[in-house]
Amino acid sequence: MSIDEPISRRVFLHRGALASAAALAAAVIPGVPWIPGSGDADAAIMGIGQELRDVLNFETCNRILTEALARGGTFADLFAEQRFTTKIALDDGKIESVTYGYPRGAGVRVDRRQQTGYAFSDEVSFNALLDAARVASAIVENQSPVTPIDLTRRDVAPAFMLSSPAPLMNETTKFDFVRRLDAAARAVDPRIVSVRVEYTDDVRDILIATSDGSYYLDRQYLVNISCTPIAVEGAERRSGFGSLGGRVDEPYFSRRSPEDVAREAAEQALVLLQAGPAPAGAMPVVIGPGWGGVLIHEALGHALEGDGIRRGTSVLTGKLGTQIGSPLLRVVDDARVPFGRGSYSIDDEGTLGQRTVLVDRGILQSYLLDRQSASILGGKSTGNGRRASYRNRPLPRMSNTFIDRGASDPTSLLSGIKKGFYAAMLGGGTVETTSGNFNFAVREGYWIEDGKITRPARGAVLIGNSLETLRRLEGVGNDLYIEPARGTCGKDGQMIPVGVGQPTVRFSAITVGGTAI
Amino acid sequence: MANLTPREILDRVRDLAQRSGAAEAEAYLEIVNFTEARVRQGEVEFLSQSAVQGLGVRVFVDRKVGFSYTTDLRPNVMDELVRRTIALAGQNAPRDENRLPDEQLPALPDLEIYDAAVAAMRPADLIALARKTEDQAFAADKRIQATRHAHAGVAVGEVHFTNTFAPYQTYRTTTCSLGVTAIATDGTVKREGGFDDRRRIFLDLNTPERIGRRAAERAAARLGGATIATTNAPVIFEADAAASFLAGLLPALNATNVIEQRSFLAGKPNRQVASPLVTIVDDGLLRRGLGTHPFDGEGVQHRRTVVIERGVLVKFLHTATTARRMNVRMTGNAVRSYDTLPAVGPTNFYLQAGASTLDKMVSETPRGLLVTELAGFGIDTVSGEYSQQVAGRWIEKGVLGASVEGVTVAGRLDEMLLGIDAVGKDLEYRSAIASPSIRFRQLTIAGS
Repeated sequence: MSIDEPISRRVFLHRGALASAAALAAAVIPGVPWIPGSGDADAAIMGIGQELRDVLNFETCNRILTEALARGGTFADLFAEQRFTTKIALDDGKIESVTYGYPRGAGVRVDRRQQTGYAFSDEVSFNALLDAARVASAIVENQSPVTPIDLTRRDVAPAFMLSSPAPLMNETTKFDFVRRLDAAARAVDPRIVSVRVEYTDDVRDILIATSDGSYYLDRQYLVNISCTPIAVEGAERRSGFGSLGGRVDEPYFSRRSPEDVAREAAEQALVLLQAGPAPAGAMPVVIGPGWGGVLIHEALGHALEGDGIRRGTSVLTGKLGTQIGSPLLRVVDDARVPFGRGSYSIDDEGTLGQRTVLVDRGILQSYLLDRQSASILGGKSTGNGRRASYRNRPLPRMSNTFIDRGASDPTSLLSGIKKGFYAAMLGGGTVETTSGNFNFAVREGYWIEDGKITRPARGAVLIGNSLETLRRLEGVGNDLYIEPARGTCGKDGQMIPVGVGQPTVRFSAITVGGTAI
Repeated sequence: MANLTPREILDRVRDLAQRSGAAEAEAYLEIVNFTEARVRQGEVEFLSQSAVQGLGVRVFVDRKVGFSYTTDLRPNVMDELVRRTIALAGQNAPRDENRLPDEQLPALPDLEIYDAAVAAMRPADLIALARKTEDQAFAADKRIQATRHAHAGVAVGEVHFTNTFAPYQTYRTTTCSLGVTAIATDGTVKREGGFDDRRRIFLDLNTPERIGRRAAERAAARLGGATIATTNAPVIFEADAAASFLAGLLPALNATNVIEQRSFLAGKPNRQVASPLVTIVDDGLLRRGLGTHPFDGEGVQHRRTVVIERGVLVKFLHTATTARRMNVRMTGNAVRSYDTLPAVGPTNFYLQAGASTLDKMVSETPRGLLVTELAGFGIDTVSGEYSQQVAGRWIEKGVLGASVEGVTVAGRLDEMLLGIDAVGKDLEYRSAIASPSIRFRQLTIAGS
């Protein structure tokens, strides 16, 4: 066994159906997971969701769904999932650890109007899921049984095709990427004293069977590599951050070089060593393209999610068709962005991922709906029913959410600002959808003085209120970029990958949480 | 799976790992049965009941670390994962300190982390508790006309553990939780206020009356909130906000981050890093504590560690590996789940109660801000900078005044910690990280 040919690539297995394939490899053990490796031959042999399908065929799914609706209910589904994840962590110049993860299980959900019952099993077996269906149905009391419609396998129109999904790269390549990022970041400057690199990938097979008669199978690939260098000079200590990945092919890494990402992250840490205090108070703010879309994710996206709308708890309840922002504002949620981290062909309850215009010329066009919120509000799901895993019920969530391209030259957006703030790279943010009060951290920020970007500023949060801030949008650049590599959104304890994006944008006033008065 | 006992599963994978090339191996099996009920406007909105079972196996091959986890406990699946992990770990870099701890565990007194009354709770009991809590929120204030939901939950957990040096060990825990997020309205705007409680022992739980009333008070207090002019002033963090701030400081006290130069407290041991009023403790043996267990995620006994004593930085939190790397004694702070490697984390982590009270702090403050809510991100434990969105009440001449929102508070963590000039008595263990109310001498408040 050489390093170039790790065993994990050769051995694949599953039980039952492919007994003849067992002859191909002496190491085949029934019931052992297929583990991705280079070359998709294994995948072709296995077929998407094969191991799940062996247990959850039309007949068993139908019996489970029948049990789920035995006490009544408006909708039920069965969601099964099998994932294989690889993690490689490097710190202090050394690969510290490698992790293989193989979570697998299935859950049953029963809806009755605003009510949801949910139960799951870590064991994928007919009996365990029949029990789960019974437990999930306990939410419904004393109603007549409902008969699920017979299942039909439906096609999943792919959002985009991958010929050589990155998670299937051989492990030597994955280790190399990690070491290359580390070396490139360190080479930038001796003040880079420490670098942490994390590689994570994920191959996720899902199976969805719904009480309205649909049966879907899909496979989703995801990869992320992040790099966090630390720069130290005297008593000052700053971190930089860079990442690459998405639902990408292997050739992506020749277009977006790991070395470039590491260098940018190291340079960010070095710039921040020179940073002085950030300004404090309300002022004009310009936010850079790409990851800057965290703003629209927080300031608008969450408040449009259908659960808050159907309950009437969101500040945007009842605002459809009304002016909620500047006429320059156009916002899109698009699950079919090629290679996007938040992209999917099908959501986690059996609706095809789609492109939805949320806001056009400042007027609210659509909410983000899952099946349950669509059935209560009237209309169709927008394909935004997502879940972190089989242990969770689906909730209305964003996919890739971005402010659409505008007309302005990005550099022109600085002109006329006497004192303001430029956010070159953001951190994370949060929002309270009841009030619309939101915040997001700035990782790399600068003062704007007399229409020019001048000094770097220390970390600060920016805060605002959705309805006020969206009206203060006064410039949108023509440099739209949708960040494919990073973005993990948490809601109700469920963490899911999302994408955000925007061109350079300018607001007349946002409160900057610095210390320089 | 069903036909193997937890002990058989663990012994089996450990032995297999050792036969397959691992010098040392550790196996950790976690089983959690939980039930959760949510009630909104009196109706059961969500009911979930399930069992989580997962296995994590850590191997050391030539002082290199590999780890795998699965929820699929079929024996041949576990075997294959372990074999592959050992092969993959071969590509890592060795480190002399990469070894299992080989400490012997002493017998422990009853830590009171399991309550049969919690384990016996049924969905109907939880629904009744959540309903009562929501009703109390409505009853407390007529401006509460909706809730996000009231929730009640129980979790009954088992951890099973073994490694190359330690015989099989196990413990059980229970957790019960109760809370509500109330929504207050004045006819035009809505604001939320929540109050949650989590406990090991059912009788420790706050009553639905208190939880509902506190949530209602918090929501109502936020109505009419407005921003204020940017200024510098003393800022009081009410207990829950202080606990959230304390949680944000944790990465700076994590030995892994200290070793890797990613903590503003690196190089500061034995120095005065906070006001003499500040003593911070991590106590993994706190009776009935939510972070209490007989041993940590790699089989080391939990203990009580004073991290900051009267403002002096005494000790960082360690796993066995970080303790070896810094050549200090272990602290039993390897925290994990079945699907994560043991890594430095808190057990019961708290700022010790002081002599003041929240009322006294307010009355002593001529002009300042009482912070009742923190939102979002704000603490950078690498650079030591702090900036965060907050909401609360303005204080004028020692009296609570108008509701404040749309502001941030900011400062440098080193100056902030040294500038804590009051610590309250109101420490309450409603989560594993807890703090009494504290006052910072001066922060920058950014508003309009």
